[in-house]
Amino acid sequence: MFTKKKILAFLAACAVFLVIDLWMFSVLRGSYQKTVLQDKKELIVALARSAPAEAAGMDPWLTEVQKAYPGLRLLHIQGIPGIAQVQAASLDSELKSLWSARQGAVSFQTGIEAASYLEVFVAPEAVRLGQGKFLLVFAPVLNKEGDTAVGIVVAAVDESVLTSFIHLTYSLSMIAFLVFALGFGIPTFSRDPLTGYAILVLFAIVLTFVAYPLFEALRLTFVHEGRFSFAIWKEILTNKQYLSALAGSVKLGTLTATLSTVVGFLFAFFVARTSLGGKKLVTALATLPVISPPFSLTLSIILLFGNNGLITKRLLGLEHFSIYGLGGLGLVQTLSMFPIAFLTMAGVLEAIDSTLEDASLDLNASRWQTFTRVTLPLAAPGILSSWLLVFTNSLADFANPLLLSGSFRVLSVESYIEVTGMNRLGNGAALSILLLLPTLTAFFVQRAWVAKKSFVVVTGKPSGRFSDLASKPMRLFLLAFVVLASVFIVSLYGTIVAGCFVKNWGIDYTFTTANIVEALQRGKAAMISTVTLAGIATPIAGFLAMIGAVLLVRKRFPGKRLLEALMMTPFAVPGTLIGISYILAFNKPPLLLVGTGAILVICYVIRELPVGLEGGVATLRQIDPSIEEAAADLGADQATVFRTVILPLIRPAFISSMSYTFVRSMTAVSAIIFLISARWYHITIQIYNFSENIRFGLASVLATALIIIVLAVFGLMRVLVKQSEHLEKTVTVQ
Amino acid sequence: MEKRSVPVQLEKVTKIFRDPKTKSDVYAVRDAQLEIESGELVTLLGPSGCGKTTMLRMIGGFELPTRGRIRIGGEDVTYLPPNARATATVFQSYGLFPHLDVFDNVAYGLRVRRVPKAEMATRVMEALGLVGLAELARRAPGRLSGGQQQRVALARCLVVRPKVLLLDEPLSNLDALLREQMRVEIRRIQKALGITAIYVTHDRVEAMSLSDRVVVMKAGVVRQVGPPSVIYERPDCKFVAGFVGKVAFFPVAVLAEQVQGAVACSLAGRRVLAGSMAPGVAVGAKAFLMARPESLRLGDPGDGACDGTVATNVYLGSSVECFVATEYGEILVQIDDPSESRLRPEGSKVSITFDETRVRLLPEGEE
Repeated sequence: MFTKKKILAFLAACAVFLVIDLWMFSVLRGSYQKTVLQDKKELIVALARSAPAEAAGMDPWLTEVQKAYPGLRLLHIQGIPGIAQVQAASLDSELKSLWSARQGAVSFQTGIEAASYLEVFVAPEAVRLGQGKFLLVFAPVLNKEGDTAVGIVVAAVDESVLTSFIHLTYSLSMIAFLVFALGFGIPTFSRDPLTGYAILVLFAIVLTFVAYPLFEALRLTFVHEGRFSFAIWKEILTNKQYLSALAGSVKLGTLTATLSTVVGFLFAFFVARTSLGGKKLVTALATLPVISPPFSLTLSIILLFGNNGLITKRLLGLEHFSIYGLGGLGLVQTLSMFPIAFLTMAGVLEAIDSTLEDASLDLNASRWQTFTRVTLPLAAPGILSSWLLVFTNSLADFANPLLLSGSFRVLSVESYIEVTGMNRLGNGAALSILLLLPTLTAFFVQRAWVAKKSFVVVTGKPSGRFSDLASKPMRLFLLAFVVLASVFIVSLYGTIVAGCFVKNWGIDYTFTTANIVEALQRGKAAMISTVTLAGIATPIAGFLAMIGAVLLVRKRFPGKRLLEALMMTPFAVPGTLIGISYILAFNKPPLLLVGTGAILVICYVIRELPVGLEGGVATLRQIDPSIEEAAADLGADQATVFRTVILPLIRPAFISSMSYTFVRSMTAVSAIIFLISARWYHITIQIYNFSENIRFGLASVLATALIIIVLAVFGLMRVLVKQSEHLEKTVTVQ
Repeated sequence: MEKRSVPVQLEKVTKIFRDPKTKSDVYAVRDAQLEIESGELVTLLGPSGCGKTTMLRMIGGFELPTRGRIRIGGEDVTYLPPNARATATVFQSYGLFPHLDVFDNVAYGLRVRRVPKAEMATRVMEALGLVGLAELARRAPGRLSGGQQQRVALARCLVVRPKVLLLDEPLSNLDALLREQMRVEIRRIQKALGITAIYVTHDRVEAMSLSDRVVVMKAGVVRQVGPPSVIYERPDCKFVAGFVGKVAFFPVAVLAEQVQGAVACSLAGRRVLAGSMAPGVAVGAKAFLMARPESLRLGDPGDGACDGTVATNVYLGSSVECFVATEYGEILVQIDDPSESRLRPEGSKVSITFDETRVRLLPEGEE
């Protein structure tokens, strides 16, 4: 691979490119400096023309110029040194002291000489004045006839005007060189250049859109008034308001996680460990909240239990009841997050070998004893991990608290208010980083403890039969609970649909279709932009996830662990932090993306990449690598292997990753609320705005429309995945 | 199908893997030197983990050698990717495309080469005919038996007319009867096409019955290369002797070379003759005398090279295996004529005699 000849050829090519690159850079720099300086010079010459010839007019003239050009630093010298009496005047003390100190210096001498010959002169070396560096421009002040210099105007031009552009060109030319070196080096030294390019592109993407913005956000929290300081963190950790938000988040997380785990366990036990009917229906109902758009459950809770709620006001006549706050939030979050706990624990309970329970019963343990001494301990790691999962989800949740928190404070909403309401980006970033800490802690607890304590061994033999551990009253209780909870969930969705057709919820319950017309009219633009951007993001995320999975599973390359970690990072990062870090990182050149549709697409892709990646990796691991080797062996290059073999084989993962991306992009709130613009609006934010303005009818219509879209996409996914089910079977058989 | 085949050369090929746990280098293949002639079927034989599959994968282009060169038909292909080599591999797990039917599996290599449709169809059917699967062209591979899948994999390789056919333990997933059948078939097709073939196996019977030459490997090192009969009858070391068949070793001192290559030696004071000696055996030094069960005979105590007691007789139908306990351990003697008169009852005292022309001296030292 690395033969001498190749290395020499590579170095030669790099050298040639570097020479051309630097030449172009210096030409650019030269011509830019020339034009910018020319402008400045012309301005200064024109000013010098207007300068008074007598000493008396100096100060008023300077004041006048200062007014017209506030940034300009001028020194007016009356008389030419060495020829006549000299008197210097300036409103700028630093410039004046420079003059008195450096009068005799070479650049000053040359400048004075040039001025005496009626020429304009720019000192080649920049001088330091206070904070920055400045270029000195010397221009002659002429007498009335215009043939003799009677004085000199010295102007200090801020060098950073030049340098910032030059820095930009310089870094761009270096990037060009790097791209050339890698783009040329990979096919020279690798026998699989396509893989090399794929790795390069993925690295470029995650470094730019994951590592860089997060770094920017972190950096901002350590900067105060332009220098390194702990001021922001000191404020965050001492301010009562922020601390109460932290406490609120933890309190809410604990409440939601505990409630969700209990409810989820009852559902999971019902589905996995009893012989009661209707399991499919229950499973489908219980998973509904996972895919339903944000604000929809909150909305219907407000419709039912809010200040003008159907139940609280109309039926019960309560006047001082408030759903806003910890209680209401806990209820809504539990409703929307218990399915996570349910799905996790159903998997765990199903994996427990029921012969263990049979053995316990056989050894004369009662059913309750068997449950508490065998089933529960076996399920304990699963229960803990589902608790942690819900806990982190509750902390990261933004949509529900935004509408329902009232005076109760949580971190995610607090950081949003800091950024958009108070324009304190540093504090907002710090608060959302704070949000990351419990998540990371939970993640490590999960890894260190749960993984070690996991008893569940997948035997591969699904045991169809099991002894019914629940006694008859227990079964009745379970059935009643599950049915009631399911009915409640269904009625919540029913409320949203009903909300569409009610004139003014809480006050006037007459039937109307006016809401639909108005909502579709006002939401049309947002709906189109949401669908368009999600539609663009979907195939990008799908392909990136699958390519990433192939690289991670099939290829060996340096930095693989880093790439994997960076690609998976957005999974753990709360949406608010991503949103804040994006507006910090991408509101300046060369990546000025804030306000464009592109930043939303990038945000969708980056946030949904981890799930698709996981799916792709899991599927690919089950596929015999010799299938791909056979394809390559028969003459297919890497691209052909990917297109004709890998993609058809991981089709189920590919489709589900795409539909997942689409749905999640359609229902995003937390990150994109920072990134939307008037041109590129988002439907969920529209729902939020309608709800905030108590236009619940309009909000209901949009929420219903969103639910329909989401369900349709998942239905389509089901059909598409089912078509390739025969594949999965043959793949696993082999 | 036309005949076309090329030689394959391995020059000092070494493959080093890095053990991620111990952080040390492991030699999968060490300085392998091999010349495979055109149209030859060569077997790489060795215990699992000896580097034979790694060697095959380097020839196929799936692994890069750490050092050394690989030439196919004289051309240096060391760094060429698999798709740029004139090799085709039959994988141990077949690697059939589960999303394509039999016909499309076989046609795959022609499709990526953009062979015209009509020609493709004829060639695919021709290849399927060769392996006797023409009528199953539209089956999904998941619905074929193991032997049929194996044939599809073979047809898929043959259809692209490779210059070298690589087979990685192709029969290990089949049952014994099918294995024997496929072995004969592979050899028949290979001979008919005159294609150069490299065959990896850990089964010595497979290696012996298939190959023109056998390459015996151990721990990444090629120990001996030769036709099956040479490998069996005239191995160069104890490892090769033991790996390709049942064998007994007797420690001897080499006395003198005699006419026609026979060597006189002393086994615990008794003078015995060996028909040949391996490189590395020197007169005056110690050596091992290797004897296969069929080159040993039983005699009365004191008559032969060493004495012992019959421990067990195992009746095999065409022969009897007689285990004799001696001071050199339990020695297996094969009695080809299992008539009652030639058998010694268990517990009787016997002596063992060598068939001088068939016993061989092997160097002492490492296995």
